[in-house]
Amino acid sequence: MAKIKFKKLRLTKKVFSVPYILFLLLFVVIPLVLILVNAFLDSDNNLTLENFKTFFTSRANLIVLGNSLLVGVITTAFCLIIGYPVAYFCSKMSSGRILVLLYILPMFVNFLIRTLATKAIFIAIGVELGMGTVLFGMVYNYLPFMILPLHTTISSIDKCYAEAAQDLGASKATVFLKTTLPLSTSGIISGITMVFIPTISTYAISQLLSNGKIFLFGDSIQLSFEQGLYGVGSIMSLVMLAFVLISNLIMNAFNSNANAVRRSLW
Amino acid sequence: MKKSLKLILVIAIIACLLLPLLSACNKSEDGASGTDKLVIYNWEDYIDSSLLDEFTELYKATTGRSLDITYTTYDTNETMMTKVLKGDANVDLICPSDYAIEKLLLADCLLSQKDVYAELQNDGTLDDIDFEFSGMSSLNANWGNIDAEVMDVISDTFSEVKSKDGKPYTDFMTPYMWGTLGILYNVNVVSEEELEEYGWGVLWNVQQNEDLENKILMKDSVRDTYAASVLYMKEYDLLPDGYQNYSIGDLINCTDDAMLKASEKVLTEQRDHISGYEVDFGKDDMLNEIVYADFAWSGDALWAVEESYDEDTDEYLLGYYVPEIGSNIWYDGWCIPKSVNNKLAAMMFIEFMCQPTSAISNSMEIGYTCAVAKDKLMADEDVLAILEENEYDTDEYFEDEGRYPEINESLGVMRDFGTRGEALVGMWQRAKSGNGVSPALWWCLLGIVGAVGLAIAIYFIVQALRYRPRVIKSAEPKEKE
Repeated sequence: MAKIKFKKLRLTKKVFSVPYILFLLLFVVIPLVLILVNAFLDSDNNLTLENFKTFFTSRANLIVLGNSLLVGVITTAFCLIIGYPVAYFCSKMSSGRILVLLYILPMFVNFLIRTLATKAIFIAIGVELGMGTVLFGMVYNYLPFMILPLHTTISSIDKCYAEAAQDLGASKATVFLKTTLPLSTSGIISGITMVFIPTISTYAISQLLSNGKIFLFGDSIQLSFEQGLYGVGSIMSLVMLAFVLISNLIMNAFNSNANAVRRSLW
Repeated sequence: MKKSLKLILVIAIIACLLLPLLSACNKSEDGASGTDKLVIYNWEDYIDSSLLDEFTELYKATTGRSLDITYTTYDTNETMMTKVLKGDANVDLICPSDYAIEKLLLADCLLSQKDVYAELQNDGTLDDIDFEFSGMSSLNANWGNIDAEVMDVISDTFSEVKSKDGKPYTDFMTPYMWGTLGILYNVNVVSEEELEEYGWGVLWNVQQNEDLENKILMKDSVRDTYAASVLYMKEYDLLPDGYQNYSIGDLINCTDDAMLKASEKVLTEQRDHISGYEVDFGKDDMLNEIVYADFAWSGDALWAVEESYDEDTDEYLLGYYVPEIGSNIWYDGWCIPKSVNNKLAAMMFIEFMCQPTSAISNSMEIGYTCAVAKDKLMADEDVLAILEENEYDTDEYFEDEGRYPEINESLGVMRDFGTRGEALVGMWQRAKSGNGVSPALWWCLLGIVGAVGLAIAIYFIVQALRYRPRVIKSAEPKEKE
């Protein structure tokens, strides 16, 4: 008996995925189930739908959610506007790889330390902490996540396309708009996903860079759990999860439509 | 599929077998080699850490076993309570505030210190050691070493609060520190006349001091900020109808909808005048003159005032003021939660904290007023020696009104809100999120959309210009000739 069992447990490639599957089960699936369960319980552990009512009828909660989404959209837009030219020119230059490394260098410093340092700089030069500083902090923190996938995609585009367009008499702008831009769509989309999803759920950056005055959805969730309001906090987490899933679906839909090189880092 | 399932099962079984083994390892370490453990869960910056080593030595000298102290911290009562109430905190000692002790007591999370003492006596633990528990207020008549005035306020306020088996509140706690809530201010920006005239209104910048605008910090803690808003409303007659005659204590603990609504209004108004909310960096920002007024606990404030002393000019940069209309009087007490493992060490630690010398060391380190009675401190020669060593003037130290305020009707104690806590958190969430989506965001979005639109428009115009039908140029010169 023992021999047979042992044979069945041969080391195959699949076995190496087991630790990660276990990890996922323990630290992703189980917490999600707990959140789901908590969402339907009141403080005395009775089944209730009251939490949903509390969340969706509160104007303040919806405003906070709206604020967060808006901050997410604006941060993503800024990252794209700043990040695309950077990635584009870096991929054109021979020293581009090193330049990109310089851009992602701040990522090697812990983001809390980075944010606190940013705050100290703002205070030193006398900038008033508020929405502006929060947006700056967000863009600063998430810019590398935009540049990296863009750089990988753009530098992997075959130069022949651009050369062919040029040979056929297209101007520089047309070459860019008709070849490079469409071919880098997949990079843009993964960049947007990489920036938008973390920004709508962020909380430490907004708290630190506005002295707690700017109150985003992440802060709201944190406050609920800290004050022991597990029910409402769970609902908020579920709403957040829904937004993450929705934005992922939208991005995927875009991505499959795009007739582009499907090769990006992420 | 089946294969991987089996493998998961095997690994799970191995893990199950290993886990108890690991914890067993820990346990054998505890007993056999003579090392005990004590887990303390206290506020941040709330102890003179050299006392922890002193206590370890004392424990070793008394029991013959060495002690391994794990010291962890929290920043608000709510953080700590969430952990203790959910049973996640595996600790021997906690140091909650007045209302938090009430909540934990009613939730049946605390052990009576009298019971623990009796238990230690019965199982003979106390016979083996030479240690006297004479300082703890929970064990002794006349409250041991603890300030009788403070204990009177406590036992009056919580006289009706009893545990499930009918034991009084004071059996479950031994006060550690106490103090008031007030305004920590920068003397160069806020004058004393201003404080006297406007009281709590200073935190709303009622006097429209230009330098103070946006340079005020509030506490990022629901209970304290709510108390501030209530006191402000009382001072400026903004209380809803029917609440005008309430005492300060009743007002601080009132959670009627009308009061919450009024408080939400003044807190939302306040947002336009303040720099933000904090619980930990306020005193540093005050010292660095980043902000000029801070809603502060007396101990933090006194510590900051002391730090702000300038030797060259012999002046203090900061001051602490408690408005005359009234304030909150609070205290934190040592409690033993039900999760306690080492009862003897926990009790001994509380007793150690009640000794005049430890109390004064703590007070000097963190700035707060220790709960050990003033006359007990002044009568102890070691205490006087410690004070002198640190260059304090004894009379000045004990007569400081910020440190030892007069305890009267105008100081109210916070009580537990019970189930109304959720309504308060809801109010706090609304007040913090403000009235609507910030217009700056809309402008930002509009700007981005506009810029992108402009870029596209320019592109199309350029294209249109470039590919417009042209007249053949060769014909033109001829006409001119």
